[in-house]
Amino acid sequence: MKGYLEEIRNTEATGPAAVFLFLLLADVVLKGGRYTEFDAETLAANALPLVLVALGQYFVILVRGIDLSLGPVMSVSSTLAAVLFPLGTVPALLVAIGSGALAGTVNGLLVTRLTLSPIIVTLATMSIWDGVSLVVLPTPGGVIPPALQAALTSSSVVLPVPILLLIATTGVGAWIMSTRFGLHLRAFGGDDAAAKASGVAVRRIQFTAYVIAGLFAALGGIYSAVATSAGSPIIGDGYILSSIAAVVVGGVPLIGGRGSPIGVTMGALTLSIIGSLLYFANLSDFYQSLINGVILVVVVGAVAARDMIWKAVAG
Amino acid sequence: MTLRMNVPEGKPPRLSAMTLAGQLAAPGTSLIVIGLMLTICEILVPGFVSVDNLMRLAGLAGFLGIVAIGETLVILTGGIDLSIAWVVTGSGCVFTKITGGQSSLLTLGIVAALAVGLVGGLVNGVGIAKFRISPIVMTLGMNNVWQGLTLLYTNGTPTGGTPPLIKVIATGYAGPIPALLMFWLVLGAIVIAVLRVTRAGRKLFGVGDSPLVSYLSGVRNDRIIIGTYVFSGLAAALTGVLYAGFSGASFLGMGDQFVLPAIAAVVLGGTSIFGGAGGYGGTIIGALFLTVLTTMLSIVNISAGVRDIVYGGVIIAALLLNRLSQAEVR
Repeated sequence: MKGYLEEIRNTEATGPAAVFLFLLLADVVLKGGRYTEFDAETLAANALPLVLVALGQYFVILVRGIDLSLGPVMSVSSTLAAVLFPLGTVPALLVAIGSGALAGTVNGLLVTRLTLSPIIVTLATMSIWDGVSLVVLPTPGGVIPPALQAALTSSSVVLPVPILLLIATTGVGAWIMSTRFGLHLRAFGGDDAAAKASGVAVRRIQFTAYVIAGLFAALGGIYSAVATSAGSPIIGDGYILSSIAAVVVGGVPLIGGRGSPIGVTMGALTLSIIGSLLYFANLSDFYQSLINGVILVVVVGAVAARDMIWKAVAG
Repeated sequence: MTLRMNVPEGKPPRLSAMTLAGQLAAPGTSLIVIGLMLTICEILVPGFVSVDNLMRLAGLAGFLGIVAIGETLVILTGGIDLSIAWVVTGSGCVFTKITGGQSSLLTLGIVAALAVGLVGGLVNGVGIAKFRISPIVMTLGMNNVWQGLTLLYTNGTPTGGTPPLIKVIATGYAGPIPALLMFWLVLGAIVIAVLRVTRAGRKLFGVGDSPLVSYLSGVRNDRIIIGTYVFSGLAAALTGVLYAGFSGASFLGMGDQFVLPAIAAVVLGGTSIFGGAGGYGGTIIGALFLTVLTTMLSIVNISAGVRDIVYGGVIIAALLLNRLSQAEVR
């Protein structure tokens, strides 16, 4: 429990949280000071798939990997769920989540057992999962149970459900990082040779990171299917690179071993709120990708510049 | 010490006869698989394997091959360039809008398109070499920036056309030989010569093999790295111009199809993703491999989904074969 609280307080998330809060403040100001629960709910619902897939990406990046196939994994779970829902909600959910675990297992085995580079492996499996989702459901469609949709998007509980889910998934990520397993993930990412020498089962740790990533991505795909009332074989394509971007804006360096799940959630929220800001600032959609790119480079560049200045000052 | 160390452990010394054989093993395996795929094509469509058709395929591979020149150089230094998608599209859009299909504006159009690539590569290189931003993040961010700039520049609808000369280079033939194939092979020969013979080429391998050793040997690593990204931007811009010529117009997203195949072509060709080992000759075979694979999948009567699955599966299989053949040699 103590470790869990420490993980929550993790200072690595401070910078990304500040960036998000600043943008949120700007959003509130642009809306004339009126920020309702509905606004927050919309933001959470829009951001949730990105938050989920970015948390998955975070675990892979922790072990110095990268997973370009997570977007297509979302497509697979989204289409499987939408096709199987008529057979029963629970079996459909289980199969869809299982598909994510299976995809993660394949990626993990190829990377750890056959020691192929993660970027190349997931480049190839990206094409495979894309193909699987197209076979399952060639065009967006399928059936989403109204009861499930109502439950996952309702605003009737204490807090709107999307916000609760957002907090819960981030909490699960923080909990994983507070366990011994989380420590081993960090140890592997920090220095795999030292981790191995300290008795960490490095291959298994690395492998499990890919499986967890597949699971989180599958959940993201299912949520987006439920929220949009349709499974889609192309829903994940937009998340391939933005999942990496969210992790990086969340203050996680790609060298592995560092960063916190809360930071990652803040990164995903930051990328999501920009769309809302552009809308209210009356700027064309064309600016969205431009601003996303600039934020990505500036956030990372600023950290790098700070480190360089710090080194210069400290001698 | 701000140098990044990315020297993989247990790497055998470079340039020995053993590693040379190891490097040849990867393209060699790819060549065998190309032969297999062509055999399948011949069985499916009798008469497929003809000189004319093979020439046409080799010409088509030129677009991927040219954009992969930059990716090869960048990967050899241990980097990666994900920004080529929208540098290709952006430079293609700039080219068609400026020339509007008129030959008199050809030079201006090409200069402007190459300027897009030059600026793109320079920004990438400076961010990566000077500000130590990870190549994936830097080029990913710049890809978004070029996407936004292209949308603003074209207002969402690319206009204009391509002058006849570019159309001739992209789609013309000299006898049975596609003009693009000749253009590509000339460029390729220059790249291979520069990599193998010149000082800059040897330094590039050195930076990729061990940045620290290279730095301590007096090489300006920064300059080499920035140089590779500039060439990558220029190669992407050239591809944008040529592909606009091939399609008769530029269109949004025209560069997306090149990013991941370019990386795959480099790796299938035996260049190490960690840098320091490989070369452009292998990439040429990698580009041919992927073009033959795509063609084979398009003539087999299967759905788009199955096609994607087989495409990814074949790449993994080829990588495993490469790995096995290299292990044999060692």
